[in-house]
Amino acid sequence: MQAPSRAIKRWLTKPMRLPRLRPYVPRPDDPPIFVFNQERDDIVREVVRRMSERCASERRSLDYVLNEVAFEEIRRLEQQRDDEARDSLGFWRSSVRRIGKMSEHERRELFRTISERMVRDIAGNFDPRVYAIATRAVPHLLTGIMKPGSLPEDLSRLGSGPIAVDDLLRVEGPIDALRALGRVGTLVFVPTHSSNLDSVALGYALMREDLPPVVYGAGKNLFTNPIVSFFMHNLGAYRVDRRIRASFYKDALKSYSTVMIERGYHSLFFPGGTRSRSGMVEKKLKLGLAGTAVEAFAQNRVRGLHRPVFFVPTTINYGLVLEAETLIEDWLKESGRARYLVEDDEFSQLDRWVAFFRKLAAVESACVIRFGDPIDPFGNGVDVEGRSLAIDGRAIDPGTYVMRRGVAQLDPKRDAAYTRELGQVVARAYERETVLMATQIVSHVLFRHLVRETPNIDLFGRVRHRGEIAMQREALHAELGLVLERLRAMEARGEVRLSERARTWAPDALVDRVMRAFVGYHRKTILTEQDGGVIIEDPALCLYYQNRMNAYAERVADDANLPFAREIARLG
Amino acid sequence: MTLMRIGVVGGGGFGVALARASVRAGHVVTLHSRRDPFGGSARPERLEVVGELGRLADAELVFVAVPSVHAETIATSLGHHLDGRHYVVHVSRGLVGAPLEPVSHVFRRLTPVRRIGCLAGPVSAACLAEGHPGGGIVGTEFPEVADAVREAIAGPTLRLYQTEDLVGTETSSALVGLLALALGYALELGFGPSTLSVLMTRGMAEAARVGVSLGGDEHTYAGMAGFGDLLSAVAGDERPEVRLGRALARGLSLEHAAREASAYVEGVVIARRIQEHAARRGIDVPITEAMADVLDGTTSPREVLEKLMRRKVRRE
Repeated sequence: MQAPSRAIKRWLTKPMRLPRLRPYVPRPDDPPIFVFNQERDDIVREVVRRMSERCASERRSLDYVLNEVAFEEIRRLEQQRDDEARDSLGFWRSSVRRIGKMSEHERRELFRTISERMVRDIAGNFDPRVYAIATRAVPHLLTGIMKPGSLPEDLSRLGSGPIAVDDLLRVEGPIDALRALGRVGTLVFVPTHSSNLDSVALGYALMREDLPPVVYGAGKNLFTNPIVSFFMHNLGAYRVDRRIRASFYKDALKSYSTVMIERGYHSLFFPGGTRSRSGMVEKKLKLGLAGTAVEAFAQNRVRGLHRPVFFVPTTINYGLVLEAETLIEDWLKESGRARYLVEDDEFSQLDRWVAFFRKLAAVESACVIRFGDPIDPFGNGVDVEGRSLAIDGRAIDPGTYVMRRGVAQLDPKRDAAYTRELGQVVARAYERETVLMATQIVSHVLFRHLVRETPNIDLFGRVRHRGEIAMQREALHAELGLVLERLRAMEARGEVRLSERARTWAPDALVDRVMRAFVGYHRKTILTEQDGGVIIEDPALCLYYQNRMNAYAERVADDANLPFAREIARLG
Repeated sequence: MTLMRIGVVGGGGFGVALARASVRAGHVVTLHSRRDPFGGSARPERLEVVGELGRLADAELVFVAVPSVHAETIATSLGHHLDGRHYVVHVSRGLVGAPLEPVSHVFRRLTPVRRIGCLAGPVSAACLAEGHPGGGIVGTEFPEVADAVREAIAGPTLRLYQTEDLVGTETSSALVGLLALALGYALELGFGPSTLSVLMTRGMAEAARVGVSLGGDEHTYAGMAGFGDLLSAVAGDERPEVRLGRALARGLSLEHAAREASAYVEGVVIARRIQEHAARRGIDVPITEAMADVLDGTTSPREVLEKLMRRKVRRE
């Protein structure tokens, strides 16, 4: 039984495309992505050309480069021992045997073959028909995840009737400005990352708010779910295989992403790289591929093309996170950093989804997507016309940042420096634009109590205190009241955002709500109530949710709680 | 070599030294100062003294040599005139406010300039102004900024290195400033070489812990901006911090001592803030704390030394 199902899965997860008899005829107000398929070959050629050019300019000998990539690939595939290994190992082995005997011309040909292979594997597809289907199906999918009770009994009713997801997914921020900017330049969304649901939720938010669709690099592991794979592949997602270590491949990815942004494809990158294992808002951002937007801007300028790039720091905030249990466990094991692929987490297990749907029947959850103010690649604010603004509101030319002695120039080191600085700007925007949810705030007060009650032991000792620490309701309400008061003052000062409920509800009502929301969502019980006290049954999950409060812990603490808040803050 | 237009903000000793060095290298300099530091004496050719910051907009590279307490004011005003083409390099040994914000961050926050650097290390006003042999380090993430500084002031006798660890350079420079103050005290009180060595080595270890907590790289403190700078002070470069420390140890009031040092010394105001930051972050800083106590006048220098030497010896 194993073999056929594997074969089917393999077939399904290969990028599948719908046949098309006539080419798509673009309409004038189409976003650039609608004509991607017509441009794809051209883009692949351009990427391959640039890779060869870079290789030549770096003066590394071709046989060294080829041997390196072949060696890395053989090592990876030998360990992987899967279908891909069976398909490609032969190619690499025979290549590696021949490289030494090849003429320079043959080596260049091999270089081209390899880069084209890689770039074609990366490049996505965009099918306007799939987009049209998705615009109707995604709301229901999301509704199902967040509030399964409201799914229509009869699936044929999909696409009609009121869409409950609109109540569950809130989109905030300067949306009108973003629409305007999408018409004059290239938008680069850089959101926080806590769940595999993020790309779907954000994609839907863009759709619903009439913002242009984006291309983005999705981890290859996401393509293992056939349905997700089909939609992602046909909605412009390109595939990023994090298992490939060869710098050759990273070059291919970078060049691909640079060319896409240069050509004005709105893009999405998760600058934290992977989902936040701890649940904390990302503080140190390397930006990774998002950095290619800086280079793309410079490339265009050098060619005399003035096409602005706008980064949009975005926070995706959930009251409850589907994968929380695996993520926090991973973080506690410290293995999360090294592990690139969590194949068996809640997201990829179909049975978990089903169990999840069943359990969820009556529980509400919510997601708030908040777009921050758009900035240019150098961290300056921009107005609705897309002009970069200095702090005093004066319009400045972003092109000056890539000039040396008045001439626009390419300089990878300089752009790397801009990218690092941009990472800090985005991280600060995350802190201001994070929308704190009731689950996180209540978890924080409880976890702070746990820290207070368990002095002089480390985090790992603390998370073992399962079901041992209780907090009396009265004390919980009182401390939560103080925390809420401070948070609301912080929101007024623009230091953070709060969900609707966190902003207006009384502490006791919030605690009731959170207790109910936690029940049945995860496999493990987080909180229980007994004799007027709330018991922390699973400190690890409590930690996961409270970690979102990490950056604010000291600011919300009263004097008595400050030492414990500091201990918590130091976790980040 | 290309001729550059160079701006200098600050007519103090270091500002004038930078201006002189730039002129000597053949560049055109605009010096911003509230009063003319040359006051009638011979002003070098190709050097103009101006009273408006707007006049610096033509410069490619702007040196900022003002005390860190003025950094925000200067940055706000400069911010109206500069943009992405300018490079700003400061020489401050200060960190701003309770969060100990590096001066580069102040400029990034208040101006559109991004290509920012910090000139630090053993480079002294004297070796810049007179062209004596010496060296220093430019902390900047941007290679073109380091190149510009080299072109502006480096000569056959001045070696300038570069590090990408800007924040490390800035914090290192500030903390060495504080240690140099402690060194002044210790010298005046007649400490022996061994005690001095212990004080300086432990002080540097402390500086590195604080610096790392502020975002610097540990290695920077062992390099030109850290030990390199400190060794120069120990070797007797008689920098203002050491002179001030000596004067304070002789029992002079801060005001008198400052006049004797004839320069603004950041270490005086920074010690307590560093100690408070360290307390918040749970970092052990006995030497900084001792300095803060002495500067507040709550303890005498001699008591402090005894207290420091009595501390329990641990593994290092």
